[in-house]
Amino acid sequence: MHQLTPTRATRRRIARRRGLTVIGGAAILALGLTACGPDITAGSGDGDASAGRLQAPDGDSPSGEITIWDRSGDLYEVFDAAIEDFNEVYPDITVNHEAVDIDAKLQNTLITGTDVPDGVFLDDAKVAGLSDYMWDLSDVLDPYVDDIAQQKIDVNSIDGGIYGVPYDSNPGLLYYNATALEAQGIDATTIETYDDLLAAAREYQEAVPSAKPIHLEQSAFLGQLQLEMYASQLGTSLADADGELRLDSPEYEQILGFLDTVQKDGLGTRAEYLTPTDIAELESGNQVFYPWAIWFSFAPQQLLPETAGDWRAMPLPAWEDGGARSGAMGGSSFSIPRDAENADLAWLFYEFLMFDEAGYTAVWGPNDVYPNGLNTSIPSYEPAADPAAPLFEPVDALGGQDLWSVATEASTEIPAAAPTPSWWAGAVDYLGNDVQRMLDGELSPAEVLEKSSADIQANLIDRQ
Amino acid sequence: MTGAGPATAPVPLLSSITARSTRHLQKGEDMAVLTAARTRRRLAPYLFVAPFVAVFLAFSVYPLFFTARLSFTNWRGSGAAEWVGWDNYLYLLGNPGFWSSIGNSAVLWLLIIPAQLVIALLAAVLLDNAKLKLRSVYRVAFVVPFVTPLVAIAQIWVVVFDQDYGAVNGLLGLVGVPDVGWLTTSEWAKPTLALLFVWKTTGFIVLILLSGLQSIDANVYEAAGLDGAGRIRQLWSITVPLLRRTIMFAVVLQTLAVFQMFAEPFVVTQGGPYGSTTTAGYYLYNHITRADLGTGAANSFLLVILVMVLSLAFVRLLRAKD
Repeated sequence: MHQLTPTRATRRRIARRRGLTVIGGAAILALGLTACGPDITAGSGDGDASAGRLQAPDGDSPSGEITIWDRSGDLYEVFDAAIEDFNEVYPDITVNHEAVDIDAKLQNTLITGTDVPDGVFLDDAKVAGLSDYMWDLSDVLDPYVDDIAQQKIDVNSIDGGIYGVPYDSNPGLLYYNATALEAQGIDATTIETYDDLLAAAREYQEAVPSAKPIHLEQSAFLGQLQLEMYASQLGTSLADADGELRLDSPEYEQILGFLDTVQKDGLGTRAEYLTPTDIAELESGNQVFYPWAIWFSFAPQQLLPETAGDWRAMPLPAWEDGGARSGAMGGSSFSIPRDAENADLAWLFYEFLMFDEAGYTAVWGPNDVYPNGLNTSIPSYEPAADPAAPLFEPVDALGGQDLWSVATEASTEIPAAAPTPSWWAGAVDYLGNDVQRMLDGELSPAEVLEKSSADIQANLIDRQ
Repeated sequence: MTGAGPATAPVPLLSSITARSTRHLQKGEDMAVLTAARTRRRLAPYLFVAPFVAVFLAFSVYPLFFTARLSFTNWRGSGAAEWVGWDNYLYLLGNPGFWSSIGNSAVLWLLIIPAQLVIALLAAVLLDNAKLKLRSVYRVAFVVPFVTPLVAIAQIWVVVFDQDYGAVNGLLGLVGVPDVGWLTTSEWAKPTLALLFVWKTTGFIVLILLSGLQSIDANVYEAAGLDGAGRIRQLWSITVPLLRRTIMFAVVLQTLAVFQMFAEPFVVTQGGPYGSTTTAGYYLYNHITRADLGTGAANSFLLVILVMVLSLAFVRLLRAKD
């Protein structure tokens, strides 16, 4: 019996052998499973499947079920309410409307191809980065494309395809505290150029020494977005139509020079958009000029009780006499994933919302969520954005001003644009931060352009 | 031992079968039972661990190998991936942003770990004192921040540390200290974030140390007391040495947490200002959001190596002391 009992060393050997077998088996299995990942090519694979062009569904009574992703919040409620109107036209299409953290979930969902929605609400800046997964909407948009703001078509266009149904236009406007300015004898409506704006700010500061009249954005991301609004006015942007960087240019130098002057001359309030500091400076009358997208209108309506009614909006000043009086700042579109089960039906939903009078009236017109209408953006579909036929009503917090006509007229001034490059958001780590460093006095405008250009090229563009 | 069960009884345990006298075996039937029992006995442990192994393979081993493979490609989430060899690793190792993120994490480690250990140790010793009134209330108070959602804490932090209207500057203003940009200046953002981390997680370390303290024999303190050792001497000469393994465990855990720290800068500072709170974990996340999955995978491997080296260093340190 003793001879049959394994020694400790033998037991250890057996255990080691078993352990190695298990580890080896696991490794082989894992390696095998790893092959389930993407194909790897040795050369420069194109990486993209051939683009598909979506076609509208055939037949008079399309039916089926679609899942639509929107961000949570008021806008979700607005779109949700519009589904009823959609179902009056398409009674056999069921819309599953979901409020989703799109930034967090969409990319993974598209990569895995699991539970992919039929349509999704996307920032314009994100469309290019996800276009590989989306339908080219050129064919379905063809009947409407001539009537959509060119800038919105441009930002959704990649390699000849259009990857988003343009939703809204976000013209840049100059919001100003008319009551505070008038109290010092300043008529903001006479401001036509950024030099005029600087002069008005200096005049106001002389009368109100504590004032730092012009908003200077302190968030790197929003600061870059605002920078692009200024650039859009000058008909340029970070990248050209071919995706080539064009930051180091006289236009950007002019813009940064203006911001640098505002800061160095003590004319700017540096604060993050609508943070407690920002709001307090707006309410106190120290900050009276806010060059921002139309969506700043939300602030006087909900966040500035002391000065609500004192604010007005006007087109942005021009960079030179006769120049464009607005630029685009932000904006969103609807994209339709290629893995969607009912992509064609999702198109019908978006077609209704954006191009059917009943649809866009349901979105921007008075509704349960916004009794006076949705006044933080305007339609990018030009027949819907008729200055003479307002969808939303005058805004009490802007002294009853007709914001609709101000915004729709300003939007016609926005120059054509180039697609937003997929690396745009990544550029915030370089350009967005460097602009803030300039406002801190660490960099000159020329240094910002040189440094940011080099960093963006090396870290983002060259690594595409 | 010798009694055989009836032929219709459930399969007997192997031990009872082997204990039988072989002469009682009815060859065909009993050998089959014996074989089945042996097979079951041999398979049983594997079946017991199978659920864990399946989950481990699916959610740890597979992602590990997948990430390793990905780190040598330029895959952006769609289409075929191009093999780029060591490019992603070389890019990161030559990139100031990568080293800056490691540096930020190292500074946060220095700001967090020593302070947290001292606070947690003192708190644990106090809470271990049976004479302390309302002891359970204090214990709960220490643990509450740990179980409170980070997003809620972060919002409080943003408001409390606001440069112009925050309570902290308000209080400091009362004694003439000028306003500090706690979250808006590179100099102060890291300490402010470290404070948030310390406040949020110290309760957890206190719990770990408390469990260690309870394993120390009270007689040791009694003997030391008889020898004239005061409270501080006892803390330094008895508590700390006997808690060394527990403290090292806490240090390793917190080192992992600091180098993987993501949610805190994501919610409070978004890595700013100027990347001063871009931790190693947050920097890695930036690659993922840009769909630069290959670089992200390489970054995660470099981070794994770094954390592994640090952990091994602590373990060696512990062994050396032993």
